[in-house]
Amino acid sequence: MRDFVLLYVNGVEHQVSGDDAFLSLSDYLRYSLNKCGTKVVCAEGDCGACTVFLGRLNAPKSGIEYIPVNACIQYMYQLDCTHIVTVEGLKVDGDLNRIQQSMVDCHGAQCGYCTPGFIVAMCSLFEQCDKGEKSCNVTRQEVSDALTGNLCRCTGYEAIIKAAMSVDEKEYKRLDNLYPSQTLISAFKKHHDEPVSVKGEESEFFKPTDVKSAVEYKSNHPGVVIVSGGTDVCVNLNKGRIEPKNIMVLTHVSGLDELKTSGNTVEVGARVSLRKLEEFFQETLPEFHHILWVFGSPQIRYAGTLAGNIANGSPIADSLPFLFVSGAEVEVAGLKGDRRIKVNQLYSGYRKMVLTDDEIIVKIHIPLPAKSTKLKLYKVSKREHLDISSFTAAISLERDGDKISNAQVAYGGVAAVVLKLSKTEEFLNGKPFSLDTFRGAGEVAMKEIMPISDVRGSKDYRLQLAANIMEKFYFETADEKELVCP
Amino acid sequence: MSVVGKDMPHDSAVGHVSGESIYIDDMPSAKNELLVDFVGSPVACGHIKSVDYSEALKIKGVVACYTYKDLPGINKFGPIIQDEVLLCEDHSSFIGEPIVVIAAETRKALAKAKKAVKLVVEELEPALSIDAAIKKQDFLDKTYRIARGDAERVLKEAKHKLEGTCIIGGQEHFYLESQAALVVPGEYDQLVVHSSTQHPSEIQQVLAKVLGLQQNQVVVVTKRMGGGFGGKESQATHPAGMAALVALKTKRPARIIYTKDDDMKFTGKRHPFQNNFQVAFDDNGRILALKAHLYADGGAAADLSTAVLGRAITHIDNAYYIEHADVVGQICKTNYPPTTAFRGFGGPQGVATIESIVQDIAAYLKKDPLDVRLANLYGTTERNTTHYGQLLKHNTLPQLFEEVVGSSDYRNRRKLVDKFNSESRTHLKGLALTPVKFGISFTNTMLNQANALVNIYLDGTIQVSTGATEMGQGVNTNIKMLVADEFSIDPKCVIVMTTSTEKNNNTSATAASSATDLNGSAAVNACQKIKRSMAEVAARHFDRVETGIGAFPDRIVFADGHIYDERRPHNKLKWQELVAMSYRERVSLGERGYYATQGIGFDWSKGQGSPFLYFTCGCCVAEVVIDRFTGQMKVERVDILMDIGKSINPGINRGQVVGGFVQGMGWVTNEELKYSDKGALLSYSPTTYKIPNIQDIPAALHCNFIDNPNNTVNVRGSKAVGEPPLLLGLAVWAAVKDALVYAGKGQVPKLNLPATGEEILMRLTELKKTTLAVKSKGKEPAKIS
Ligand SMILES: Cc1cc2nc3c(=O)[nH]c(=O)nc-3n(C[C@H](O)[C@H](O)[C@H](O)COP(=O)(O)OP(=O)(O)OC[C@H]3O[C@@H](n4cnc5c(N)ncnc54)[C@H](O)[C@@H]3O)c2cc1C
Ligand code: FES
Ligand code: FES
Repeated sequence: MRDFVLLYVNGVEHQVSGDDAFLSLSDYLRYSLNKCGTKVVCAEGDCGACTVFLGRLNAPKSGIEYIPVNACIQYMYQLDCTHIVTVEGLKVDGDLNRIQQSMVDCHGAQCGYCTPGFIVAMCSLFEQCDKGEKSCNVTRQEVSDALTGNLCRCTGYEAIIKAAMSVDEKEYKRLDNLYPSQTLISAFKKHHDEPVSVKGEESEFFKPTDVKSAVEYKSNHPGVVIVSGGTDVCVNLNKGRIEPKNIMVLTHVSGLDELKTSGNTVEVGARVSLRKLEEFFQETLPEFHHILWVFGSPQIRYAGTLAGNIANGSPIADSLPFLFVSGAEVEVAGLKGDRRIKVNQLYSGYRKMVLTDDEIIVKIHIPLPAKSTKLKLYKVSKREHLDISSFTAAISLERDGDKISNAQVAYGGVAAVVLKLSKTEEFLNGKPFSLDTFRGAGEVAMKEIMPISDVRGSKDYRLQLAANIMEKFYFETADEKELVCP
Repeated sequence: MSVVGKDMPHDSAVGHVSGESIYIDDMPSAKNELLVDFVGSPVACGHIKSVDYSEALKIKGVVACYTYKDLPGINKFGPIIQDEVLLCEDHSSFIGEPIVVIAAETRKALAKAKKAVKLVVEELEPALSIDAAIKKQDFLDKTYRIARGDAERVLKEAKHKLEGTCIIGGQEHFYLESQAALVVPGEYDQLVVHSSTQHPSEIQQVLAKVLGLQQNQVVVVTKRMGGGFGGKESQATHPAGMAALVALKTKRPARIIYTKDDDMKFTGKRHPFQNNFQVAFDDNGRILALKAHLYADGGAAADLSTAVLGRAITHIDNAYYIEHADVVGQICKTNYPPTTAFRGFGGPQGVATIESIVQDIAAYLKKDPLDVRLANLYGTTERNTTHYGQLLKHNTLPQLFEEVVGSSDYRNRRKLVDKFNSESRTHLKGLALTPVKFGISFTNTMLNQANALVNIYLDGTIQVSTGATEMGQGVNTNIKMLVADEFSIDPKCVIVMTTSTEKNNNTSATAASSATDLNGSAAVNACQKIKRSMAEVAARHFDRVETGIGAFPDRIVFADGHIYDERRPHNKLKWQELVAMSYRERVSLGERGYYATQGIGFDWSKGQGSPFLYFTCGCCVAEVVIDRFTGQMKVERVDILMDIGKSINPGINRGQVVGGFVQGMGWVTNEELKYSDKGALLSYSPTTYKIPNIQDIPAALHCNFIDNPNNTVNVRGSKAVGEPPLLLGLAVWAAVKDALVYAGKGQVPKLNLPATGEEILMRLTELKKTTLAVKSKGKEPAKIS
């Protein structure tokens, strides 16, 4: 078993062991390596000031894929066999790269504290983009989508958008050209399927490479914290909410990376990132794609997983209402083998799942809705992007002519767990598809939920949303000619 | 060829984009450095019975713990009224108010030590709202009043009257770099304090006082801030003070870096206001009289509240002539961190009040609010004195209105909004134009002074130092351009140095939008002194080489890096040559400049005067669309037009305008400070406190400036631009209010600020209920447009 984390930072190899392996990447960069270009503001993934590139083996293309991540919520133990490129590593032969220069020219930096994060996120847009010959400049929406995870308090963003839009894709020198990938690829290929375990002063982590040893480790270490993308776990670590003795990272467990359609069902491996899902569902199911598009930020989606969202079990987890109404199932692996559980039967209480101590989630099976199904997914949050929901909903139903059938309704943010509203469903089934019906359903829904007041909204607000969302569904799914004025 | 007016990049831009700019947490740590943190009051109002840090001291790596008893000086200070303590004595007045300072060698030890400190604090009844303070009649400072005419009488006689209360929320600064300080002890108890502050001199004065030092023993250095927005004016003293105490006591460098969470929880914010008003107006919506009583939430100590309230009272007129006005203001004492300076400094809360009133008048009269605004707008030759008696010279507001109404196509879009709202079943639109007229100068006349140091080196390069602090706003770039321009040399030859009280003494805060006005003018003054001596050297030189022209310094011209006598322009000296020549002739190549704004003054006892050197004005048109079912709102288009005089650096100015607008938009929309019923901030991190995100910015954001070649009052005819655009964010709020008028079918809708999705939805719901009630009584629902 290897007893250090192997990673590269701006092309230089580092072997990290002991307590350093339990630092956040941002602390490691700033305090262990004195690379202070990467800033820390919130330490919870919400501002992007700490954005760095994470390069890792990209299996199908067998190259290095560079993704933007928040260094404050990546811990060193997640980073075995990665290449971290920080803002300090982006200059080209000692000169500013094209994007850095554009930010200078366009007044994209004022106080400068957000700037390194913006530079990395902006470069990542150009890393990903492949415009070919047609148009070499990125669009405004592409820029906004790429920079959603970065907050700036000074500029009002306008100058930053302009800076990105002024760059010709061809003038951007990609990381593969700055850092020869051959060395990295061969190092990673050689080492990534080695299990790793490091002991620090107070804790220990284990990086298994197969499901079997993961399950065994879990059952032998009650209380072990599983880290997948870490976008939930690492926030809790930073805020001192958890102090785990044992940590298990799933980054290199084989067999969890697959994303495919089999028949009418989408199979999502536990390590598939939300970002991959977002791309996948763009065509397949735009309604769910939209929810993924407003989910966190690119940095969060590149790191985070659907399995993590499910396992975290928050009543305002954005994926859950859809998984509840679509009849999705999780596949879990344990000492006794695999089993499947319906997502809407997975929770026994606030953030509690019915899994046994040895079990981990390995896959999610999502049946795709039929063409005839009317499905709408809602996320209501204070800010449209990069915000946690105040209220979520999924409503799906069929229409037999004028009548409603097979209504499925799930609301989040209205109780300790996401709720399937069986009374509301019952009310809807068999009723005519009309404004009155949905108004009535809204009233039933209001009685079926138990929202509380908290920082994201009052009880009354949530009750009102619970009613209104039914009306909204009506107006969004009714045929133009049957619409009734409110 | 002048560099002033050019679009030069920020002088730190290259460092910013490459991650090489250094902030306090980036400064390399010394071997023996200590990390500092604190334990504060667990309750909003408490009697501190005992403090026990003995367990904390036992933790490996913990070096010291201190309380107020360890302060060698006087534990009392404040920028206006001395009512603040560095460390609590037996009473605490807000959650997190520092009680114990801890110094440790590692972050881990520090975190453990914080948990090991035991406090026994008896919880007393706190005041957690403006109403609670009013009930207790607990105010900070006296009542302030500005009045003109006889508002009381006019209100009694008027045909139309409205009254109400404007509820205006606070705002977290959310500078990205949290409060930070690094203090390095020197010989004889001298301290070098690196502080992320907008006010090095205040830090120096306060630290000297609480640590029992002379002011000349404390040097405060500010390289840059990762944002300030007013939050690092008086609020930077606590972190600097705690680190300084550790450095002084332990003789080791001491660094304190607040976490974002702690910074948000424990430092002061923009003042919430609750403003009661009565307004009288005629059929055209022209305001005849306004009576207003402003209550500002000052938090637990006076801080800068008096001045903030003053600005609210002097800005409640905004762009409108109010013949009979009676405006009274008080500062409520509550158990929150002392509210403090924040871009706009009371101005936004004053302006929000009148803009809300104007929307109400329009809704009541069923007029387009634009027409009500035009009916009230300050004139150019009459109706052009403010309620405190200052004459508006060169009023550009009518021009701004005319141009922006045209360029934004306001009238036509109003019709489209009418149509949209009558057709859409799912969405509502709103449109509004709001202006800003922002007074430039510190209202406290004394503060309108600055000094600057300009040193020229033998290779012709220049260092400039002023009391201005750089927080991203570009003041250093402006000053660099002004200095380069004075000598007519390449700006590359000029560096604006780190701000330090060692070079510039008794400076004013970098605040009130006036840093370039004051410090730039002082730097120009220093340059002019040097130029005068250099011109004499040059005159003597040309007298020697050009026979018979005599030595006339007045005839010497500095242009494009050269110096010549205007009568013999072909015979030039290079800048570097003249510098060397001046040195050889033993002429001083360094000067201190000084500037004090002339012709301003204000007498609070009368509520009269001309506190401002000039006004920066602008207009903003905003259009919003609201989801009727969820209350979620999107800004669709924004048109900004401002008069900023002759711009020193248009690129930097534009950045200030757009940045300020977006920050203002955040304040009026989603930035909501939510507290527990015990007074603890619940929205204390970006997870729950939502500043505008890149996706919130309308794709159609037009920002333009009018030509104003006539402006001469300020340095190079420029106008201050830091704060005014923030107030333009109110156009978004007014547009939401406008949308509600459509939903309410003519009712005068209520809307608190900020207009979050929740606020909007609950107001829509309320309007729906009352409209239904009205309908069932058979009344004709009123229409506006
Ligand atoms: C800034 C920010 C924004 C966010 N925005 C959103 C948002 O818009 N909507 C939303 O719903 N969430 C949001 N989140 C929460 C989070 O990103 C998601 O819940 C994400 O899906 C978690 O995935 P992960 O892989 O990072 O999980 P991790 O943090 O690695 O794990 C989360 C939990 O799941 C467990 N776990 C992970 N994988 C498995 C497995 N295979 N088997 C068993 N247990 C497992 C872990 O032990 C842990 O308890 C946000 C978080 C941040 C920091
Ligand atoms: S510091 Fe804010 S996202 Fe990492
Ligand atoms: S430039 Fe200051 S936060 Fe972006």
